[in-house]
Amino acid sequence: MHRFKGKNISYIFILLILLGGVMLLAASMGAVSIPLTATLRIVASKIFDIRISLDEGTINTYETILFKVRFARVVLAVFVGIALSVSGVVYQGIFKNPMADPYIIGVSSGAALGATIAAIIFKGLGVLGFSLVPVFAFIGATTTVFFVYNLARTGTKVPVATLLLAGVAIGALLHAATSFVMVFGTKDLHFIIFWLMGGFSSKNWDHVMVMLPFLVVGLPLIFYFSRDLNLLLLGEERAQQLGIEAERIKKILIVVASLLAASAVAVSGIIGFVGLIVPHMVRLVTGPDHRFLIPCSALFGASFVVFSDLLARTLMAPTEIPLGVITALFGAPFFIYLLKRSKRGLF
Amino acid sequence: MLRLEDVYCGYGDGKEIIKGVSFNVEKGDFVGIVGPNGCGKSTLIKGVSGVLRSKGKVLLEGKNIREMSIKQIAKKLAIVPQNFRTEFGFTVYEIVSMGRAPYLKRFRAETSKDICATENAMRSTDTLRFAESKINELSGGEAQRVVIAQAIAQEPKILILDEPTSHLDINYQLEIMELVKKLNEDGLTVLMVIHDLNLAAAYCKRLIILKDGLVLDDGPIDSVLTDDNILKSFGVDVLVHRNPLTGKKYITSVPKPSVLRDKIKGRIHVICGSGAGTPIMYGLRDMGYLVSAGVLNVLDTDEEVAEKFGIEVVSEAPFSSISDDAFKLNLDMIKGVDFVVLANIPIGEGNIKNLFAAEKAIEMGKIVVILEETPIKERDYTGGKAAGLINNLYRQGAVSAKDNGDVFKIIGSMSECQN
Repeated sequence: MHRFKGKNISYIFILLILLGGVMLLAASMGAVSIPLTATLRIVASKIFDIRISLDEGTINTYETILFKVRFARVVLAVFVGIALSVSGVVYQGIFKNPMADPYIIGVSSGAALGATIAAIIFKGLGVLGFSLVPVFAFIGATTTVFFVYNLARTGTKVPVATLLLAGVAIGALLHAATSFVMVFGTKDLHFIIFWLMGGFSSKNWDHVMVMLPFLVVGLPLIFYFSRDLNLLLLGEERAQQLGIEAERIKKILIVVASLLAASAVAVSGIIGFVGLIVPHMVRLVTGPDHRFLIPCSALFGASFVVFSDLLARTLMAPTEIPLGVITALFGAPFFIYLLKRSKRGLF
Repeated sequence: MLRLEDVYCGYGDGKEIIKGVSFNVEKGDFVGIVGPNGCGKSTLIKGVSGVLRSKGKVLLEGKNIREMSIKQIAKKLAIVPQNFRTEFGFTVYEIVSMGRAPYLKRFRAETSKDICATENAMRSTDTLRFAESKINELSGGEAQRVVIAQAIAQEPKILILDEPTSHLDINYQLEIMELVKKLNEDGLTVLMVIHDLNLAAAYCKRLIILKDGLVLDDGPIDSVLTDDNILKSFGVDVLVHRNPLTGKKYITSVPKPSVLRDKIKGRIHVICGSGAGTPIMYGLRDMGYLVSAGVLNVLDTDEEVAEKFGIEVVSEAPFSSISDDAFKLNLDMIKGVDFVVLANIPIGEGNIKNLFAAEKAIEMGKIVVILEETPIKERDYTGGKAAGLINNLYRQGAVSAKDNGDVFKIIGSMSECQN
């Protein structure tokens, strides 16, 4: 029985190498192209404190580009990829629904409204040099989830079907509200539309630091409940019969996954498809055991977002394609392919 | 082991489904809970397992389950749900090992004890051979075995099954029941909600009948499974027999009368025995005739059925030849009827007087219908005497019928002519 565990651990190892490779590639490519070997050496020199046999000037330029610009962007892409994929895994597990993703219960529509309000009504305002957009987006996302959650709650229980329907209804309402606010700021529409499509342009280490605490707290918490998530897949009642406090764990997981997704949306806008397809793709290989599905999805999701961002920056350089467009362009056909191929169903 | 004291239980909308149920399940017992849909069987199980809140006391090994954590309950009491299906492609081994959930510590892998319990559970349910198969690719019967294995992996003191066979074909039904029986014989206490009364009668040691959230009757199968109790709980008329192979009770349903009659069409006397007359008596009664029968031995199948339907019978002591008294009584009864039907019965020295009665009936001017599905020669145990009598009857105008339907047709058309 244990050969399966061994196989899964080797998946994690392969995915780690994949992520490292994609990160190096993404850091090296761009308007100024840095040789892969140089990037490797600079990273190695920082870690192991070795001297590099390149001339000083080039190194300094490369270091500046890498550490001031590229690495921040790459690390942020990693964080956002992890947050969206892991919350996608959690949502699909709890909802036992293949169409569930972090946006289904209002994270995206709430964030969109918040961002639009910040950009159009409070434009130019900022807190400690920070734009109000991510702050409002985060507030919008979490408030919406809170609202949807309470709307769906009946007594002490939160039925899954009601939660999905409430999310869809509130989402439609918020989309309308967002469109309405846009009427007042035709000048800022360009910014809003780009924000809504998601991306990492002009993002820096501050954004990385904003997301860090959410990941540091959220990921271990979700992993802590990974075995319970397996049992929840059998249905809440069955999980309860097997000694799992289904209702309590479901509530904790919904809150944590939503905060994780909200933090990602706040810094990067709405990047579609990652939370939906990454868990599916990984599940096809690892199977549904969350103890492996969660780490594998995190690693693969991170690689996927880093790679998509690389394409977004370089395909039509110097014009940057919105990241959400790339993830959808690559994600949707692949998802359809999976749908057609797997005759046994989506799980 | 498991004791319920005045338990009330419902879905929190103020309406109680279970309205004060008390019973006690002893260690090693095999108890079936039966009752019509909506009587609260499944609700009761949810209350017992702590999934639903209940009023009153549910004591598990003397401890109130409300003072136990859900994990503690899961270590002593395992549930097998009605229909276990999951879309997710867990392997059978993974599913069964989930039964160890109440024993596992956070962030720790399964110990050798957990692995042992999982494999033992699979061995005792014969699921080890598809350990690596995906649960969502198994047949319904196989999946049900797997979920029983999952419950066994919990190493419970009591196994509670909620209609484990209701979605299965008959071969799987029996397979699952045999499995549960084996587990019970190995010492596991079993409480099973079951909708198939015959399976319940064949496998359970004790039966609890629920009706409208209350216990209607509770006791050994033989004392509880009566037509009276089933009429009271399910509202249907049944016949309770014994399986000739096992001696266990089983029931068959009695169809509702096809037409309501307010007028008796005529009177018919049926000469029968050992079950041959049952469909004739039932069919003629259903057509609206007033039926009588005789002479029958007490405890004969036909006699029991006649009794059940209130058909007047001339009876004789069990395994005895027809006495002159019974013969006379039979003739008295034949005097009042329009038709006499002679069922397809074997004739021996013990019941040859019934042929004399048929002869007398013809003399009295009654129409005698002889059902001859098998030629009389093959069921004549009187050395040709009976065959001779039958031939005589034909000569005197008795009508021959080749099956039950023929009997009904002949009598139907003849009684129309009479009117």
